[in-house]
Amino acid sequence: MDNLIRSCFILLLLLSGCGWDGTPTRHNDFVPLTSIKISAFYSTIAAQTSTRFTATGDYSGLYTRDITDQVVWSSDSTLVASFPYSTAPNKNQVVGGLAPGGIAIITAKVGSVSADFTLKVSSATITNPLTITPDAPSIAKGLSRQFLVSGTFSDATVQNLTEDVNWSSSATDVATVSDEVVSKGLVKALAVGKSTITATFKDASGSTPLTVTEPVLQSIELSPNNPSILTLSTKKITATGTYSDGSTPDISSQVTWGSSNPAIATIKVDGTVTILTQGTTTISATSPDGKISKSMTLKATGGNLTQFTVSPSIVTLVKDNTRRIIATGTFSNGSIRDITGAVQWTAANTSIASVTADGGNLVWLNALAVTPTTVITATSGTLIPSPATLTITAPQLLSIAIITASPELTAGTLTAGTSARFTATATFDDGTTQDVTALSVWTSKDATTATVGTSGLAAGRVTGVATGSTTVSATYTNNGKTVSVLGPNTVAVKSRSLQSLTISPATSSVIAGNQVTFTAMASYSDGTTKDVTEDAVWSIDNSNVAILADNLNQPGQVVAVDRGSTTITAIFEGKTQAATITVTGP
Amino acid sequence: MKRIWQTIITLCLPLLLCGQVQAQHSGPYVGALFGGNALMNAKASDDQGDFILKFKPALQGSAVIGWDFAPGNPAGEGRVEFEYTRRSNPLDQVKLVEGSLKGSGTVTADSLLLNFFGVYHDNGRFSPYAGVGIGAARIETSDLQVAGYPMSSDSAVVFAYQVGCGVDVALTDYLNLDLGYRFFRSTRPTFSEVNGRTLDMDYSCHSAVLGLRLGF
Repeated sequence: MDNLIRSCFILLLLLSGCGWDGTPTRHNDFVPLTSIKISAFYSTIAAQTSTRFTATGDYSGLYTRDITDQVVWSSDSTLVASFPYSTAPNKNQVVGGLAPGGIAIITAKVGSVSADFTLKVSSATITNPLTITPDAPSIAKGLSRQFLVSGTFSDATVQNLTEDVNWSSSATDVATVSDEVVSKGLVKALAVGKSTITATFKDASGSTPLTVTEPVLQSIELSPNNPSILTLSTKKITATGTYSDGSTPDISSQVTWGSSNPAIATIKVDGTVTILTQGTTTISATSPDGKISKSMTLKATGGNLTQFTVSPSIVTLVKDNTRRIIATGTFSNGSIRDITGAVQWTAANTSIASVTADGGNLVWLNALAVTPTTVITATSGTLIPSPATLTITAPQLLSIAIITASPELTAGTLTAGTSARFTATATFDDGTTQDVTALSVWTSKDATTATVGTSGLAAGRVTGVATGSTTVSATYTNNGKTVSVLGPNTVAVKSRSLQSLTISPATSSVIAGNQVTFTAMASYSDGTTKDVTEDAVWSIDNSNVAILADNLNQPGQVVAVDRGSTTITAIFEGKTQAATITVTGP
Repeated sequence: MKRIWQTIITLCLPLLLCGQVQAQHSGPYVGALFGGNALMNAKASDDQGDFILKFKPALQGSAVIGWDFAPGNPAGEGRVEFEYTRRSNPLDQVKLVEGSLKGSGTVTADSLLLNFFGVYHDNGRFSPYAGVGIGAARIETSDLQVAGYPMSSDSAVVFAYQVGCGVDVALTDYLNLDLGYRFFRSTRPTFSEVNGRTLDMDYSCHSAVLGLRLGF
């Protein structure tokens, strides 16, 4: 009962104030029209010229309204003046007859209410030249402009003849001018160049040069608009201009970028924004002439970096070898994430060791010369954690071996369209071994059965192509010595029929800044399953909620960005599966 | 409005004389309610567009006949009743594109609803209740005019419903004072305009009511 009463009370609150307070769209015709007043721009016109009338209705003295389009217009003498057009917007346009001189009584009528207007058609004749306005204008390509023309008559009267003349353009590929009844004198600029606009009335004419200039910027759109972006990350903001000719080029490099709070985010001249601390800032893009600008709110999320570590902290590499190095950050909101690609890496002696960024969060540490110790430092702002200590040796290469933890590459069969990894391990004469997968040259004997990646993180990754078998070999060279080795066994590839694709977890709740790993699992008709996380194509609906950590190097890894929900989708061999990510605070 | 409040206060005066009453009536009852209502600004529409009808608040009267369920009844604690109500609000203003003009005439709604009210009994004298009602209403536009010019005189029968809440005050074991609020609404009635067009309008109103129910 308590709940019922509470619900009813809330319902009543919701229903209260339900009266309509919109804007009326209905005219008042309940009150009868009692009189009409006619007005005209000219009470006297020359023969074959025109003028327009306006009818204002008086409704019982309570209000007046423009009823020009509602009245029925007529002339008592169509030889003197007539209404040649029956539809708006020209139905109120009266045209003087061919015969000069005379008077016509113009009548506007609605129902039983009518009004008269005396129009005189003079016998004055036109004199040269006609005057066109604007004079010698420039119009940007794609824009339109209404031209007007006036003529002086023999009785010294001046009359607007825009709707009475014949309009023409000397170069219709540059600009057109309308000679249609409803749009006379309307010029459209089509292409950069010059034209002459001419108006002709009887024996008189006038003309003006027209220059069509390059299209001008009308507006700017920013993409992504109002984004949420993680601290310590960078993002390219694109400015798209809409020009008068309808073109929409990327003008990111032409606009002037600005950030209202550079302590939160800075932006480079190409629109790349770097997020420094959590908060909001306004990003603006302004056209070179300063006339057009667009701004948006950028929200920096994921907490502020409080500390980070470098791993491994102690490294021994054989000269000319390489390995990954990773920086992991801890943030003020409690989140922890990979920031390898966001920190500044510095080698103490670049002739001994170097650091190579390979996109995303992939950074390689390269051993160049023998040394007992050197340091690699990572920096983010004022934070400088303990550096990685690197020792570089130069033992003699003895052999390499190919190993794998993947059952598909040993006892089982690799499903076509999926992949698994080999690792190459080198043994040296000082008894040490090192992972040399990335530096080995990998070969598949039958690439129509399976291919093998040859560089970077793809090195050693075998991808099944079609049913069959092949052997994989690796060749590694160090200190002038080259050794090769075949894989531990033949790689068997089998084509299987994909039945379904699943993503786990199906739903995930994570705080902004933290990472979560999704796994895609394929199920085949023969009952086998295969982790295809690395083989699937991943995407996320709303990058303001979550982003893929590093699509190339960390497939299935997602970083939460800002509060909300979004969908992560994996596509593999025509199958699509989605999971929901809910991002919570702070 | 002043007269409405005077009436409500007058009807509440007997409360000061009431003693403690504990028994809960069950069984049939009849009653009458009286109060004021505010008919909300109505969106009216015809083929020419939309406009606003504004009304003055007015009095309303209701008669009810129903059945009180005894506490502990498996059907629930509360009452079910038929309610007839009449509301008649003068048209105050009509707002069209050209502006607002003085309106006249009345819109009257006669409704017959089947109400279901749940009552919260705590053995005290005051028992709050809330519920809903559904039924039909005959809504009549009587000589509606805009600035003295006729607009509509017609009637329509439409589906109607209301939600309400209030407090029952047990004056005796068989006599209850009902102080309540109602929000009444109907589907849009359709009327003929004097010019031959068809007019639809909203009808929803807030009401404050005071009444007596006599049980048997």
